[in-house]
Parts: sequence; structure tokens; C-alpha cells
Amino acid sequence: MIVIDEDLCKGCHLCLFMCYKNVYAISSEANKKGVLLPYVNFGDRCTNCGVCEVICPDQAITVDVNKNWWVGKEDNSFNPKFSKGRK
Amino acid sequence: MSDGNKFTPYMRKDRLPHIFCPGCGNGTIMSAFLKAMEKAEMDFENIAMVSGIGCSSRIPGYMDCDSLHTTHGRALSFATGLKTANKDLDVVVFTGDGDCASIGGNHLIHAARRNINLTVICINNNIYGMTGGQISPTSPKGSYGTTAPYGNQDNPFNLAELVAAAGATYSARWTTIQIESLVMAIKDGLKNPGFSFIEVVTQCPTYYGRKNKLRTPTAMAVTLKMNTVFKDAASRMRQKDLEGKIVVGEFANTQKAEFTENIERISEEKFGKKTLINSAYEEEL
Repeated sequence: MIVIDEDLCKGCHLCLFMCYKNVYAISSEANKKGVLLPYVNFGDRCTNCGVCEVICPDQAITVDVNKNWWVGKEDNSFNPKFSKGRK
Repeated sequence: MSDGNKFTPYMRKDRLPHIFCPGCGNGTIMSAFLKAMEKAEMDFENIAMVSGIGCSSRIPGYMDCDSLHTTHGRALSFATGLKTANKDLDVVVFTGDGDCASIGGNHLIHAARRNINLTVICINNNIYGMTGGQISPTSPKGSYGTTAPYGNQDNPFNLAELVAAAGATYSARWTTIQIESLVMAIKDGLKNPGFSFIEVVTQCPTYYGRKNKLRTPTAMAVTLKMNTVFKDAASRMRQKDLEGKIVVGEFANTQKAEFTENIERISEEKFGKKTLINSAYEEEL
């Protein structure tokens, strides 16, 4: 499941270019900042590869998967050595 | 399920959204660095970030870790002092191409020659973005800028090969479009005990794109992707075909004696104790 943060997105549409499954589409109406937000048009095509999450320059896209796959752990504690319990 | 982005826990949330232009590659490199740091399983509390002046040098201001924003071009000098004073820190330097290649070029090659354990991420957007689009030492031949209305006539710096020739133990060049390779390169650079240099060619749609008829971030990303040649393929190509191409790959990956370890070894040889101490009390050594 993909969540797009409306406050952070600046509308560069790099996610549309990078997604090789063409999950995203551009909305026709601008939001209150004047940004044409991308939205998830074909969510069933998504393979949870996470490229859009990293390529997004504004950290607006979150691809929610059940496990943090690049660390290979079941829970979502990000860095095992990341101290002080901030998550 | 987590709520919120995976990268914002490492950032100063009250300063977001950051001031980078829409489609600027600096935000991508922030995410790529955080992902590479997680892959390398480093301690985020132990990282110190150093930056100079420029668009890309604003990155440590958004990270929730110890950071040092220094004078123009001298980021590597400050980082050398930081690393020599406290060799247990993981020092990461974010510099731009004007900061790193133009005004701080001599600092760059001498830090590479000394082989001090730093990770330098040079964000190369081919132009001076913060000051209004002047031609930088890495602008491609024939590109337009505020100071080159008829096209740039000079040959650009080949930074990754320059640093590899200067003696760095890890040197690589990637673009923001090859995001997985970039993450793996930053991870290798963080793990490498020695001077690691990663040049990242990014898009600058606001200034480079406006002058060179690539106004949208997507148009710049398409050109970056089309102009990319891998290093092994480039070695079989003629010089004429390589003009205007970005050769990506790993240019150096070796092992050498490291600067701070050399200092520690020589001080133990000559004086029988460490001369580099963090504490004022000798019994804490």
C-alpha cells in the first residue's frame, strides 16, 4: 500500500518516471499549494520494490510493507544499531 | 505497519519540507544515504556530517545528527581535523561540485593522497545552482549557463577518475537514476576503511535545465538515463563516441594504509603511548 504525503510533495513527478509498472498517475486538479499530486492509479500492479520511496526527493512516498526488507527483519525497527529507541 | 515515512525519523521534522527545488536530486541522495546507512548497519548517533557551501551542502542541516556547516571549499579540511581528533567518529562529507572540485580541489586531491578514512559524497549537478547558474568545473562541453551564453568551451573535470588517480581507495560515480547501484556504492564507501569518494550526477531542473532546454525534472532524468555508459562498455568505445556521455561505475577499490592508524602506530612506536587522546585524564586511556 502506497501513502503519499500531501504536505511534503512538490509535484516533480519523478515517481511516475521511475515506476516501471506505471502505478502512478497525475491528478487533474491542483491542491491548495498548486501542486498536481500523483495518485496511485493501479495499486494492484505494485510489487513493493521501493524505488519510488528512495527516488522521491521530498520523502513524501511511503511504501508500506509488512517487513523492512532491506534489513531483513520482521518488525519495522529501522536500524538495529540506531539507539535511544527512536523509530 | 509503520506510520510515516521510513526516512523522516532520521531528519529534523520541524524543518521539512526542505527548500530544494521540485525535482532536485539532493533529496534523493538524502534518502539514498539513509538507506545505505541502514544497509551498512552503522550507528546513526556516531555519524558526524560535514558540508561546505552550496545547495547540496544544506543536506546536513536536515539530518538529525551532529553536523558541521563550514566555509566554502574547506569541508574536507574541517573533516580531516575532525577525524584526526576523534578517529572513532564516522565522518561523512557532503559537498557539491563547485565546493569540491573548484575552490576545494586541492583539499580533495590531498585528502585522497593521505587516504584518511572519510566518506565523501560529491553531488555533481554540473552548475553552480545556489548563485544563479554559473558554469562549474564539471559542466559538460557545449552546455549553456549564465556565464556561458554561447556554450561552455572548456573540458570538464572527471572527478571520480581524478580522485582514483590521486590515491583514494574507493571511488565510484553513479547518477540518481541508478538508485540501487548508488545505494550499494554508498554502502561500500561507508564500510571501506580509507578515503571513499562517491560522485553522484544529479539533475538540476531549475538552472541547468532552464538554460539547456530541459525544464522538467523528468526531461533531465531521461537525459541522464540516455547519456549513461557503464565503465566496461566505455572501455570498448571510441573517444569520439564518449563525448557528452557519463561513464558510471567503480573506478577504484583497493586497500592501503590509513592516515589516523599511521599516526597512532608511529606515536606508539616512538613514545610508547597514544598521543591522540580524547580525554584530559591520562588514566582514562
